[in-house]
This record gives sequence, structure tokens and C-alpha cells, in this order.
Amino acid sequence: MATKPHIRELLAESACEHNQPKKTACNAPIPGATTGGCAFEGAQIALFPFADAAHLVHGPITCLGASWETRATPTSWPARDLTQVGLTTDTCLNDVVFGGEEKLAVAIDQTITRYHPQALFVYATCVTALIGDDIDKACREAAARHGIPCVPVHAPGFVGSKNLGSRLGGEAILTHLIGTLEPEVTTPFDINLIGEYNVTGDMWQYSPLLEELGIRILSTLSGDGRIAAIRTAHRAKLNVIVCAKSLVSITRKMQDKYGIPWISLSFYGQRDTSAGLLAIADALGDPALIERTQALVAREEAKLGEQLAPYRELFAGKKAVLNTGGNKTWSIAAALQDLGIEVVATAVRKATEDDRAKAREYLGEHGVLMMDPGAEQAKLIDEKGAHILLAGGRSLYTAIKKGIAFIDVNQEKKISYGAYAGLLNLAEDLRHALESPVFSLAGRRAPWNR
Amino acid sequence: MEQVKTRSRHKSSRSLQINPFKLSAPMGATLAFLGVHQCMPLMHGGQGCASFTKVFYTRHFAEPIALQTTAVTDVTAILDGGDYSISESVKNIVNKVTPQLIGLYTTGLTETKGDDVSGIAKRMEVPLVYVNTPDYEGGLEQGWSAACSAMIRQLTAPADSIDNNCLVLLPHVSLTPLEVEKIVDFMTAFGFNVVTLPDLSSSLDGHLGEKQAALSSGGIRVEHIRDLAQAGLVVSVGASMIPCAHELQKKNPQIRHHHFPHLAGLVATDELIKTLLDETGFHAPPLPVGRWRDRLRDALLDCHFALGKTRFILTGEPDMLAALCAIISEAGGKIAAVIAATDSSALDDLKADRVIVGDLGDVEDLAAADFDLIIGGTHVEALADRLGKGMLLRGFPNWEQLGNQLVHDCLYEGGAYFLCEMANVITRHQHHSGQR
Repeated sequence: MATKPHIRELLAESACEHNQPKKTACNAPIPGATTGGCAFEGAQIALFPFADAAHLVHGPITCLGASWETRATPTSWPARDLTQVGLTTDTCLNDVVFGGEEKLAVAIDQTITRYHPQALFVYATCVTALIGDDIDKACREAAARHGIPCVPVHAPGFVGSKNLGSRLGGEAILTHLIGTLEPEVTTPFDINLIGEYNVTGDMWQYSPLLEELGIRILSTLSGDGRIAAIRTAHRAKLNVIVCAKSLVSITRKMQDKYGIPWISLSFYGQRDTSAGLLAIADALGDPALIERTQALVAREEAKLGEQLAPYRELFAGKKAVLNTGGNKTWSIAAALQDLGIEVVATAVRKATEDDRAKAREYLGEHGVLMMDPGAEQAKLIDEKGAHILLAGGRSLYTAIKKGIAFIDVNQEKKISYGAYAGLLNLAEDLRHALESPVFSLAGRRAPWNR
Repeated sequence: MEQVKTRSRHKSSRSLQINPFKLSAPMGATLAFLGVHQCMPLMHGGQGCASFTKVFYTRHFAEPIALQTTAVTDVTAILDGGDYSISESVKNIVNKVTPQLIGLYTTGLTETKGDDVSGIAKRMEVPLVYVNTPDYEGGLEQGWSAACSAMIRQLTAPADSIDNNCLVLLPHVSLTPLEVEKIVDFMTAFGFNVVTLPDLSSSLDGHLGEKQAALSSGGIRVEHIRDLAQAGLVVSVGASMIPCAHELQKKNPQIRHHHFPHLAGLVATDELIKTLLDETGFHAPPLPVGRWRDRLRDALLDCHFALGKTRFILTGEPDMLAALCAIISEAGGKIAAVIAATDSSALDDLKADRVIVGDLGDVEDLAAADFDLIIGGTHVEALADRLGKGMLLRGFPNWEQLGNQLVHDCLYEGGAYFLCEMANVITRHQHHSGQR
């Protein structure tokens, strides 16, 4: 059986909105003008949160050596958290010349004997793909030897962007794991969460609410994920994609193969969280569930409203400029608006058509959609009288020059801004930033520069 | 309990690296080029190699990192010998910024496909230095040192006279920006005009500039690299830097070379002073140096109670390990094992029960009773917590703590601070673990 996914086919994913206007690949990095991770990183992002599986990277040291223990994706798995264990074959010159398959087989055996994982993922990388090491064979043989699923992941960095890599990771799950085990029980309200990685515990902000509603998370790809659960994912009644366009292909294929419908939503800010919970209930279609959800949403919004009241008072009349990319262009804007902050401008240079439309919807006709934020944001801060800039680290200088508060939105966040409770965290961080003396002090003129 | 008395140099020959702290040669070359003023490091490889590296250093230094990639894809990996992706990269870089230097270096991907970067580099019409750094050979120190040698080889003009006031400092990769500055100040106090290659002391020292720079925002100037061979002496610190000093002497055989494996602790700093006194003809060092020596001697006495009863495991880059090993031994600390990312002559003759080239998997394989405290980067934290051991964070990466560029452990001054910090960490750990 050929297990290598067809890259062209995945690039031309029909449900991917990048492909609507023109039929070109979403990924064509420009030499000397490229930022952002590779396909291997995308696969790592999508699959590493399975803490009960071992993740063995077949490649030279940069791929794993620079990347393990970088993402905070907490797990409730009671045994050793294998997400935070770095395993690599550390390909050396000898392997490049003579091939690395023998070494890989030994590494697989050592990994499984040492950690007894529920499954093993083996990741190809540029060098080992180029020298032609057969990771499919290695995985097939290891699965037979050890009696656990061994999954080859064909996402060497050079095939494309992080997004494509996440999709390739999903493809590996679909090919090798989903449908290989039957759940002990099923309920009418079983869902899969796809693309929710539980970064900083985001998922745990809303999963208790789902539980309260009687909605069972049958499996996740892959936040706080379990291999045994994802193997039963084909029995879910609904696939829920959480903020991850890259995994549309897997949900579409599961619809074709298993008849599971899917919806796509976000749990960022109050409005999206409420809308998301209601969308899940609607899709599951049970009138009693819908009613329960409406009641829960009303209760949570009232509770949050009370908790946010002092912040809303504090933030009244405050204006923000937002410079980020992707779905953050509107999702953070929505969260800020929920806190009573006026978003006067948001950058849409790195956003899809759909994201731009949503940004326009949230910001209204007077909001500015910045196509060249680097040049525009400083001017807009003056014109609109903004009080805070939320952007990547590079824009810090703009904030200091203008003497306004700054929050780095693109840093790996240490704290969750997800769902209702996360909004309180965001509110607290905003309060700190707006009250902090550092931004004006850092911009203070030196006594010798009169 | 079996006491291991004999010291064995053991190279992990496993097929599997478990929890590695080894870092790649291209990552070392990246840092070296960031030590050159207005430089753009250009990594010839897949976009991920550069992206991982950029995120890694951005988090370690809490600073933006200038770095670009030739973004080799599966298609260009097969069809292009490097000409297209490198010349396109250079074009796209100079369209936006005006670097004084582009530092071009390879990765495992582009070495495997066999690109001829030296040939391509010679056809470029911008100031550019190239170096081969496949990530399947060597590690961080080798990449740093290879880039440094390449800059000397390709930029420094040969000279036939020397200026005895001018001293070239070649620091190893693990010296922090502040340590480099302290060493420069120390030498400057003896009257030398010191030039450092690579110089992170003004580029990654965590300063707030006027605006966000798209290129490295400090470091040695390219014209100073050209003039290096006019110096009277070259001082290399760390075994990995010896080849760079030899490279410089090829440009001018009159340059005198002094090598120091490290500059940590009393004995090593005494040695440096002896050399500087010999070279200058001074009878004594400037006054503050003597005062710091007295403070270090006092710290040795104050701290030996805590350090002397502690068994250490040291992990990281070889040159840093040589330094840590020396200062801890001076205070009477027992070193159960030194675990190095890569092999190096820096590991010869260390005062340690075991010397291993390996990873944190090797630490787990050691008997837990064998050590009390581990020193290393971020990755040792989870291990120390799990095993209930004490911990001090040093080396790459340190994503948990701020101020990594301001850490200063060398010379008399840094040694005194280091010993006190170490002793405090030990005492606190003993309190927390109920040993006191």
C-alpha cells in the first residue's frame, strides 16, 4: 500500500479558500524574503500534542534539536509526557553516505523499549527524504515487531509551509489511525476537535462547558490527545475544526468516507465562544441540547459580564491598533471589542480574503484595514489617538516612539486567551500594559540629549 | 555504592539521541554572522532551518534576530544547484536593505544535494562570505568557528607589519555578550586597542536602539575585519577558536598567538594577567583588577562549604564545560560527569569522573545517587524537577530566564559572582529538598 500522500492533491484541497481565486499552490516561499516555518514544523505542531505517543525525528540535529520543548501544549496523560521528550536519529555524515535505515530501525526499537508509547510517529526530514530512507518500511516492520501503531509522517520541510505540514500530519492520522479501533460506547453527542492543540491549555477553557452540556469529546487532533481515542474518531457525530484551516482536508475526507459532517469555528473572545458552542449544538441538532446551550451561554455571558465590568470601565474610550496576521486579524479584534476597546485599525496584509471580510465586519466602515501596516501604523496611532498597539515584537519601537502601551501578540503566549475565562486573562494583560510606566520611561530622553 | 574513580572519555554511539542539547553548525554560523555590524546571515537551506533558528535565538536573547533563508523547496532541491536560490535571495535582500556583509552558509539539505557555494559566492557582486556548515557534521562550536575562520580567510587583507597596541580577541560561542565586553574592558585596561571577532557584545547584548533594525545592530565592522592582520597579537579563548587564530597568522606570520582554554576562575585569570603583563611590560595590573582578585579569593573561601559537598553534572558546549569545570573544581566541587554536545579537545584532562559526548538521556542513565545538581540549558529543568535535583541554567538555550546576555561568569569579577550564585542555589535546593 502506498502511504505517501499526494502533495499536489493536498495543495489543491477543494475546501481550502486559498484556492478559490487562483489555482496555485498556497506555498511558494521567496528566497531571501521568507519568514515562517516549514512543513516538518507543521506536522510537529499537529501531532506532537499526543503525549502518549513517541515522536522520533529522522534527520540531522537542527530539525529536532532546535525545536523540542518549544510549545506549551499541556496534557492530562498521567504517564511520562512524551510531547516534551526529544527523540532524533541525529543523522550524521556516515548516514548521508551509506543511508540511515539501519540506524532508524535501532532508534525505533530503543524508543519503544524505553518509553512503551501507545504509538510511534516517525518524521521524515529534508535530508533523509533526499537520501531516500524508506520510513514506510521501517514503520511497517516496527509495528509488526512491537505490536503498536507506527506511523510514518511524510512532511519533510522543503515540501512547503507549516500549513501544508499540518495537513500532511492530519493525512498520516487519517491513513494509519482513524478507524482502527471501535469505541467502547458511543453517544449521540460525540464530537472530534480537529486542530485544537491545547496551546497554553486553551481547550481546557471550554471543554468543561461541553462536558456540562453533555457533549462528549470523543477524540482530539491533538490537544491533550490520546492515540486510543483518535483511532475511534470515525464514530463521531460531528467534526469541529478549531481555528485551523490547514486541517479542512481531513474533515472533508472523513465526511466522504464516514459521513461525518464538519463545522469550523473559533473560541476566541466572548462572541466567538458563544457562537461556537451554539454552532456545535445546532449541528448536533437536538432541540433539548440547543436549549441547554442557550441557557449555558446566557449564564456564562452574564457571569463574564460581571467579572469584566471593572475592566470595561477602565477601558472605556480606549482605542487600539492591531497588527498581526491570519485569523488573529479579526479574532483578537473581536476579543478587544468584547472588552469595550475600540479597534481603530487592523493589519490584513497577511490575511485571506475571508479573514479580510470578517475584519471589515467586526471593525465596521470606519475601521482601517491596513495593507502596509509597517508604514501605516505609526500615522494611524497619531490620527486616531490610539492608546495601545498589539503587534509582533518588531513594532515595539513604534509604540515607544509614540509613547503608548504595547502588547506582543505573536510571542508564544504563556497564558491562554481562549474562551470566556481567557478573556479575563487578556483583560488583565491589557490593564497591565495600559498602566505600566515602562513604555514612557524606555522612551525617555537621555539627560545629555537636550 | 560503587565509586567511579577512573575517568573515561565515552562517546555515545547510540543510534538515538534522547533529549539532545546538541545544536547544529549552521546555528553556530548564524550567531557568528550576527556578531558583524549590519550583516544579514543567509542560511542556504529549507525555510524551516532558518525559522527554527530564528525562533530559538529570539527566545534565548529576547531580541529580534536578523536572519534570512534561501528557502530551498523540493523542486529547487532537485532542479537548482543553488545558483537560482542564492542569487534570488541576494537580490531580494538588497532590494530592501543595504547590508555591509551577507553571511552565506549551508545546511544538511544543500550539502546533501551538493551545491557549490564557493563557486556561486565568487559570482556575487555584493560583499559576501560563504562557509560550509552541514548540520550532519559538528555542532554549534564548529559552525561558529568555521564562520569566523571563513571571514578571516575571505575578508582579511594580508599584512607584513604589526601594531603592538592592537589585540584581536577570538571568543568561543558560549561566552555571553557581557562576558565578551568584560574581557575586552579587561584587556583595554592594559592599554590595548581590542578588536573582537565575532563580537556579540554590541549586537546581542539586549540594548534598546533607536529603531528596529532589519540587520544585525552592532558587532565588528567589516572594515575592521579587513584590517585584522595588522594586530600585534591574537588571543583565542576556547579550544574551538584555535583554528581561527591560525587562519589569522596565515595572513601575517608576525602576529603572536596566545591561547586560553577558558577565562574562568582564579588560575585562568592569573594566566591571562601574566600574559598581558609580559606583553606590555607592566609590573602590575590596573588597581580594580587586584581588588576583584581579592573578592574572588574571598568568595572561594565563603563558598567552598556549599560547593565542596556537592556533586555536579555539567552539560553543554565543550568550551563552556571546560570553564565551568575549572571554577567549580577550584571551589572544591566534585564533578560526577561532564556531558558535551560534541567532541572537542576542550574535553581533554577535565577534572571529572566521567566525560561523555552525549545527551540528557545519558544523565537519566546515570545512577540518581551520583549527583546533586545539574548545570545546563532550559532542557535540564524538567529533568532536575523529575529527579528532585538542584539546577543552574547556563548555555543554550535558556528560554526560561531573562538576561542571558548579561550573565557574567568569567575573570575574577564574574567568578566571584558565579560562586556566590552557585552556593546560594545549592543552599536553597538543600532547604527545599529537606537536606538541611
